[in-house]
Amino acid sequence: MTTLLARAEEEAPTGAAPGRPRLARSASRWRRVGVRILATGVLLALWQLLYSLQIWSPVLLPSPGAVWEALVRTSTTNDGVVGYQGHYLIDHLGISLGRIGLGSLFGVAAGLVVGLLMGTLPWVRVVVEPWVTFLRTLPPLAYFSLLIIWLGIDESPKIWLLGIAAMPPVAVATAAAVVGAPATLVEAARAMGASRWQTTISVVLPSALPEISTGVRLAVGIAYSSLVAAETVNGLPGIGGMIRQAQAFNQSDVVILGLFAIGISGLLIDAALRAVERRVVPWRGRA
Amino acid sequence: MTAHRGWRRLAAALSLTALLAGVTACGGGSDDSADGDRPTIRIAYQNFPSGDLVVKDQGWLEDALPDYDIEWTLFDSGASINTAFVADAVDIAAIGSSPVARGLSEPLNIPYQVTWILDVAGDNEALVARDGAGISSVSDLVGKKVATPFASTSHYSLLAALDDAGVDSSQVDLIDLQPADILAAWTRGDIDAAYVWLPTLAELQDSGTTLTTSAELAQGGKPTLDLGVAATSFIEDHPDAVSAWRQVQARALQLIADDPDAAAAAVGRQLGIDADEAATQLSQGIFLSPADEASDQWLGGADGPGNLAANLEDAARFLADQQQIPDAPSLETFQDAIYNDGLEDDVTGGQ
Repeated sequence: MTTLLARAEEEAPTGAAPGRPRLARSASRWRRVGVRILATGVLLALWQLLYSLQIWSPVLLPSPGAVWEALVRTSTTNDGVVGYQGHYLIDHLGISLGRIGLGSLFGVAAGLVVGLLMGTLPWVRVVVEPWVTFLRTLPPLAYFSLLIIWLGIDESPKIWLLGIAAMPPVAVATAAAVVGAPATLVEAARAMGASRWQTTISVVLPSALPEISTGVRLAVGIAYSSLVAAETVNGLPGIGGMIRQAQAFNQSDVVILGLFAIGISGLLIDAALRAVERRVVPWRGRA
Repeated sequence: MTAHRGWRRLAAALSLTALLAGVTACGGGSDDSADGDRPTIRIAYQNFPSGDLVVKDQGWLEDALPDYDIEWTLFDSGASINTAFVADAVDIAAIGSSPVARGLSEPLNIPYQVTWILDVAGDNEALVARDGAGISSVSDLVGKKVATPFASTSHYSLLAALDDAGVDSSQVDLIDLQPADILAAWTRGDIDAAYVWLPTLAELQDSGTTLTTSAELAQGGKPTLDLGVAATSFIEDHPDAVSAWRQVQARALQLIADDPDAAAAAVGRQLGIDADEAATQLSQGIFLSPADEASDQWLGGADGPGNLAANLEDAARFLADQQQIPDAPSLETFQDAIYNDGLEDDVTGGQ
């Protein structure tokens, strides 16, 4: 069984496209980075231009400078006021990322188990599938008030909400991938005397890994987009709570700052997950 | 090839930006809604018991202004109403005094004026401590968890109550919760006290002790009120409509005083609660008589703006002390923000 995996790893080169000179590759990468920086610069300039035209009140459209000032203000202590509502921006973000990490961890673990069961045992699939779909279509805000009643206002309802949001994509992706495992490989393994459990661990799971890893990336993204919902109740400190609070006090610059913090950290997290994916599933896209 | 793709990507990014800009432009552009020649009055209302709900229920404004289209929109907080005024999306609103104090201050500087006092918070907003939490006075709240909906009049009153008792608000664990969540957290024992309004308040009082009420704070010089405000541009363009609006509000206050059952039935229909409950809630607020609206204590009349301006300035200065706004504007700003032209005629002759 392990030889299969080993061969797959051998076949995968270390991430370089075969036959393409290293120099050209790095040049194209730099060009890509350049275009992105240029596009960001143009967007910022457009933003500043829109602001300078004074079409809207600064409350509706704060200037890039105001958002920058909000960044400085929320990251320092001014006149004894620590950051925003007693916490620095980085603490708000860190606490939220911790919640997302924990929620996603539980959600992904539960999704893996449910997905595996659904994929391997047809009757489980029949029973559970509608419930997973049901859960997937529920907007988090709709059931959050129930979680508050059941679990209180501290950390646990937030973690539960993020976990519930993260579970379905992993379960669906895992189940689909397990069902779609190459029948020839499974039969070969069985013929060589592998038990059902051994087949699942050594053949089915590795072949399902690429789809599972996509499911995990989706799940973390969904958990992230549920963050503001999870932090509507007693969300301070937390980046979602910060955005809500700033909304209540009409501090648009802080709202936009929070959106940037969420967006940029979301990009970084996705990049990190992709890097992990490349390590764990190097044969992705080449199978 | 890659360079090509890069440029195309850039073009796509730019067109997306243009699209976004276009969408926001549409959002801000829906000004005085001049479809046809019938002007529209866009009214923001909130679900707290007041004469405003009586007016809405009875359709009095529609009767009084047959040449106008009246558009009622429900808002759940003063902050969102302030945002709507900034976006020029409402003309007249029912809104609490502390959001108004904030709206008239930096950085919002909303061009609106106070046209009416819907009610003065009395026993319908109060600070309650949970039985068994070991709290018998406001000063016992040090180190305890106290919940209130932030940026509301209750939040303001809570900070004022702490201030009166000599408690620094940073010594108290303040939690931002909406009334429904306060009830849930209360029953689970997650919070020790809460400053909130009816009907949640009544349920808390069943298992708690009332420490102070907004009526007591009002006596101590920190009243919170529910106000009617109108955009300055709207007042300038349609003074007759504002006058008619005040007359129906006066009629509603008169009904609350003369025939509370009829008023409660109307308010109950709007809130989706039964008339008895609505009557209880109405009886706990303080409703001025129409003539009092124009008194020196409140909006004032021909002699100049009333004492309400000082209340609002107080509120703003307090918000500035609490670092919720950078600075409190001068008393003049608030006096200018009181619109009482012709108010005396509306509250006496209008019925």
